Amino acid sequence: MITLGHYLGVAAILFVLGVLGIFLNRRNVILMLMAIELILLAVNINLVAFSAYLGDLTGQVFAMFVLTVAAAEAAIGLAILVIFFRRRGSIAVDDANRMRG
Amino acid sequence: MADVAAGYLPILLFLAVALALSSAFVGLPMLVSRLTGAHRPDPEKLSEYECGFPAFEDSRDQFDVRFYLVAILFIIFDLEVAFLFPWAVSLMGTGWAAWIAMMIFLTELALGLVYAWQKGALEWE
Amino acid sequence: MTYNFAAIVPELMLIIGEPILMLTASTMGRRATKITTWGTVALLIAATIAALVGTEPSSAGPLFGGLLSADPFAVYGKALIYLSAAVAIIAANSWFARDDEHGPEYPILILLATVGMSVMVSATNMITLYVGLELNSLSAYILASYRRTDARSAEAGLKYFVLGALASGILLYGISLLYGFTGSTQFSAIAAALGRDEAMGIGLLLGLVFTLSGLAFKISAVPFHMWTPDVYEGSPTPVTTFFASAPKVAAVLLATRVCIEALGPAIDAWRQIIIFAALASIFLGAIAAWGQTNIKRLLAYSSINNIGFVLIGLAAGGAAGVSAVLFYMAIYVVMTLGAFLVVLNLRNAAGEPVEAIDALKGLSSRRPGMAAALAVFMFSLAGIPPLFGFWPKLMVFNAAVEQGLFALAVAGILGTVVGAFYYLKIVKVMYFDEAEEELHYACGNLEAAFIGLFALIVSPLGYLLIGPIGSAADNAAGALF
Repeated sequence: MITLGHYLGVAAILFVLGVLGIFLNRRNVILMLMAIELILLAVNINLVAFSAYLGDLTGQVFAMFVLTVAAAEAAIGLAILVIFFRRRGSIAVDDANRMRG
Repeated sequence: MADVAAGYLPILLFLAVALALSSAFVGLPMLVSRLTGAHRPDPEKLSEYECGFPAFEDSRDQFDVRFYLVAILFIIFDLEVAFLFPWAVSLMGTGWAAWIAMMIFLTELALGLVYAWQKGALEWE
Repeated sequence: MTYNFAAIVPELMLIIGEPILMLTASTMGRRATKITTWGTVALLIAATIAALVGTEPSSAGPLFGGLLSADPFAVYGKALIYLSAAVAIIAANSWFARDDEHGPEYPILILLATVGMSVMVSATNMITLYVGLELNSLSAYILASYRRTDARSAEAGLKYFVLGALASGILLYGISLLYGFTGSTQFSAIAAALGRDEAMGIGLLLGLVFTLSGLAFKISAVPFHMWTPDVYEGSPTPVTTFFASAPKVAAVLLATRVCIEALGPAIDAWRQIIIFAALASIFLGAIAAWGQTNIKRLLAYSSINNIGFVLIGLAAGGAAGVSAVLFYMAIYVVMTLGAFLVVLNLRNAAGEPVEAIDALKGLSSRRPGMAAALAVFMFSLAGIPPLFGFWPKLMVFNAAVEQGLFALAVAGILGTVVGAFYYLKIVKVMYFDEAEEELHYACGNLEAAFIGLFALIVSPLGYLLIGPIGSAADNAAGALF
């Protein structure tokens, strides 16, 4: 039987992968966008699993909001990325280094 | 562990059936065309074409920034519609208040589309 | 469920005005900039009045099934947010007017962010909290990268976006755990569930830590401050002005409401985290500011430093602590807006904006009025006694001492002394250094009036305002208990 613990375990693994993806990746900003999506997916798994476990719909409603806001976030992330690329001609993470301190 | 595996039996069967059927769908026409003599390949016919890109190229190639613009608009209008499904399912229970709220939401989305249109974001050139 | 629309009139005004202004912007193009700018300012002022007038007791309770609340706490936050957003828009107007990058969308983005902040301070449910926070953040990401020809602006936008989205993810993960282990997203229900359990489970504790980490990022408290200097430096200065004022108020008020209303029974668990963040922010903000040569970066560290003092008030908890937090934010916004308004109007001989601290050399001899105003803001941010900036710091320490947190108060006072150094450095540069290059200072009448007014408020004359602001803050803080 798959229990709540299994779902939480998967979500926790996805969450850690997402966070590591942001900090360890030095190559491409697009990968960071994917890592952010991974984190939000982990949250959604948590919310839906808890919702089913508690027999309470709030978690699923919340998951819908997370899903749609994530879409808006991805759109804005892509737009900023396009601006950045047009200025610098690259989307490597290490190129985001104009400011230090 | 056996319990878990048993829970996935239907999807295993589904995959087996799907595999059998899809190989039949792909394999049979090829076989039939050989038999009937309609097998006359030429370079144009053999080239794959999908979404504006040749299919076999380095996937790390840069591609046109205009695709991003379309993608950005698509993501938003595609996913905001996700609210329509639970709304439609529960409309009988939620009544007029929910109907009005959704109409306001759709109006907002439409206004966003009008804005994008007037800004020229929908033009390809 | 009943719908009390009368209680959300300010928000309704803003969200009905927004699409109208947006369509005006898209049909008229750049010519609409004036219309959207002043239209937004008018909307914000009208919404402030509506928020302040419409505080009848009937609207103070939970609204829309407990999603929102228009209690005095929310009203206090809204008034501060709307007014500082309006000042930020006016300040941007003349700054952008000198180059051709200003568009009619700028005030509309601020308007959207303001609606988000308005929801943030009113939210009494995790879902509303998240939606409000994201509306604010998403608008802020775009604003940070608003100057498309400036590589630093694009980079600031990118960094802000990636780290902001990460913080939202961490916050959400915490919220999902809180929801799972308490069974509700409602603040009051979370508090009730936390109050029932004597021992906190590991799941709840993790949820609390993740939630606080996400919120700490949004208020740029150490150790989640790393984005602040880069974003402040890279964003166009009017945008930085905005970031330093209204969103800070909204995030601090949101964190306060979450800590008191939702996590109140777990105060022993979060107090240690807040105390750590407070002290780390005060000292890191003070020490890292020493070597800065860019005035926007310096003000970023100044804001980190000030958030530390605010967190001391939050750590104290109780009505006195929350009241001190609210009072602090009101004065902080005035000081910060004043300092940024002066910075916004600094230009070199070619008419380019200057951001180097060295450019302030000899400002006192050429523009004594502006130099005096900036000096007042700096002394006030440092919390040096005769000025008004001293009073909120005193209130915060007082609240901490009342709760028996003597060590925290003493450490905070020590931090004030360390921090005073770099504020004094600015004053020294303005008054005692010889000017190296010609500095132009073209300041519009309206901005000059704002600078004068703000300088007057934070001057010793400001003590006359202790009565009204203090009673408003007490009233607002009372709504949470």
